[in-house]
Amino acid sequence: MALLVVDNLSVGYQGQKGYLQALEGISFSLEAGKSLGFVGESGCGKTTLGMAVMRLMPSNGFIRNGRIIFDGEDLLEKTDEEMRRIRWQKIAMIFQSAMNALNPVHRVCNQIVEAIVTHSPLIDKKEAYEQVRDLFQLVGLPENRIRDYPHQYSGGMKQRAIIAMALACNPQLIIADEPTTALDVIVQDQILDEIKNIQTELNISVIYISHDISIVADVCHHIGVMYAGQLVEYGAREEVFNNPMHPYTRALLSSYPTLTGEKSHLMPIPGEAPNLINPPSGCRFSDRCAEARETCRRNHSVWLELAPTHKVLCHQCGKNCGQ
Amino acid sequence: MEHVEETILEFDGIVKKYKTRAFLFGARGQDVVALNEINIKITRGEIFGLVGESGSGKTTAGRLIVRLEEPERGKIYLDGNEITGLKGKISKDYSRKVQMIFQDPYQSLNPQLSVYDTISEPLIIHKIGNGKARENVVLQTMKSVGLSPPHDFAHRFPHQLSGGQRQRIAIARAMVLNPEFVVADEPTSMLDASMSAQIFNILLDMRKQFNVTILFITHSLAAARYLCERIAVMYRGNLMETGPADDVLKNPKHPYTQALIDALPKFGNSRDVNRYDTLLRSERVPSEHIGCPFFLRCSCADQIKCSHEKPPLMRLGDSHSVACFYAEP
Repeated sequence: MALLVVDNLSVGYQGQKGYLQALEGISFSLEAGKSLGFVGESGCGKTTLGMAVMRLMPSNGFIRNGRIIFDGEDLLEKTDEEMRRIRWQKIAMIFQSAMNALNPVHRVCNQIVEAIVTHSPLIDKKEAYEQVRDLFQLVGLPENRIRDYPHQYSGGMKQRAIIAMALACNPQLIIADEPTTALDVIVQDQILDEIKNIQTELNISVIYISHDISIVADVCHHIGVMYAGQLVEYGAREEVFNNPMHPYTRALLSSYPTLTGEKSHLMPIPGEAPNLINPPSGCRFSDRCAEARETCRRNHSVWLELAPTHKVLCHQCGKNCGQ
Repeated sequence: MEHVEETILEFDGIVKKYKTRAFLFGARGQDVVALNEINIKITRGEIFGLVGESGSGKTTAGRLIVRLEEPERGKIYLDGNEITGLKGKISKDYSRKVQMIFQDPYQSLNPQLSVYDTISEPLIIHKIGNGKARENVVLQTMKSVGLSPPHDFAHRFPHQLSGGQRQRIAIARAMVLNPEFVVADEPTSMLDASMSAQIFNILLDMRKQFNVTILFITHSLAAARYLCERIAVMYRGNLMETGPADDVLKNPKHPYTQALIDALPKFGNSRDVNRYDTLLRSERVPSEHIGCPFFLRCSCADQIKCSHEKPPLMRLGDSHSVACFYAEP
């Protein structure tokens, strides 16, 4: 059975200029022990998706409809108190900027101990401290740095401390929101490796959220491509990268410089993402899509299954396949 | 471009140190060596890539060129003229010829100036043209960086624009003086992938249109491969490897360059690339001697030689040089 099923999730923000549809009709499922990556440009709603699953919406954010079923239970029907118990115990999050996620005036170990003690009241501080030692070993931090303050850590070490904190209560699911954005390539590689190892060792599911398509391609089993609040293509890693179907996925791939293969001219995507306060009625990518027809602009796009695990939200793809 | 190889900019033994502040108790102020004996020659009309991790000194090199900093030792030449320690009018003339595009378009633009004012400011400072002529130049430059029609953008302010548009304004501001040399300091690190591709293509286009030489500072090897003819890889203020971009990236000789390539996420058809595995999993204990800067993390290092002696930059091929004792051609 799937660990997490998100079904037709719609989320919006009430802003001064009107209601902004940050997410519309998102559906996916995630098996235990697997990893799933969401890619898209900034503003496509990928962070909102992570926050919605944690139910950590700001006061002007609303989950309008849909279901988030985690381990057989609908998270949207939980009370705030029940949700507090699920957070960190079962679903943990690695936040976007590790540099700012740690409290600068507390020692790193005390911050992790606090997370453990808050969420598992049965554990006393001494035991928790021992657990932190184990966690440090697990994420590859030297033990003699356990009582340091965050400013004494390098960027990579802070990121490792954040991962240790996310693992503190043995969660079943970790949501990693841009876990390596501010890091150098070598450190990034080490951190991603670390998450991958821990994932297989402890059989945790991970949702990666990133704007960098190469990171997602490196670490995830399944990939969801997001555009303007919608999931536009979803499938296994090989399917999406070897056989990208949605024009946006293809455009994204061809705008990305690679180190190997033919040095081809990069094709930037023309135009800008649509305003989500008043989104276009048809396909949201139609204004920037070279293959768009009149039907794309008028009608809602529909999901098309190319393979049992590979689906795409596009009018034209279906016709191309039919030919 | 191949016909005349004329050096436009030269770094000759540049050393730059920063002093850290001494604390009241404990450690005394220590020097941080940002650049250590750097020699680079950049040919007219090329895009030269400076690649490295943060803290490798690549931004410092860029700042030295536009004279935001002065080197501790060594000389920088533009067109054969020494530029270190210029003063007064000559200095101002120089700054017209050399411009910089900064990393973060969210911070490098003055929020109180409209797009038109931002781009025309350099012309006013250097007293170039009069009202009408300036307007033409500004609008023309805006068009060439893809801000078209320029009249739509001229009276907007930075907060009304996206990151990609802001960075295009920064490029226009640098190009409006028709400089000979532009330093582009990670111009796309704050932008999305599709926006980056636009900026890359604009830089290529600028080079073609204005025949400007560009120093492209980046941490992304893939971007360097796409844009640059030649690249230099830096590590902790030292030049580790330099040569034609394709050569260095396809056939890296220095263990550090190899480690960088290993660390890139692999996807698509690059999955089957063989690994070099030159990075040690745990760092060595530092020795008192100053040897190769990469010694502490290098798996190929020789305990005796590499820890005592700093390898010089040695020529391997026509223009491919490596600072490693064990690099083979």
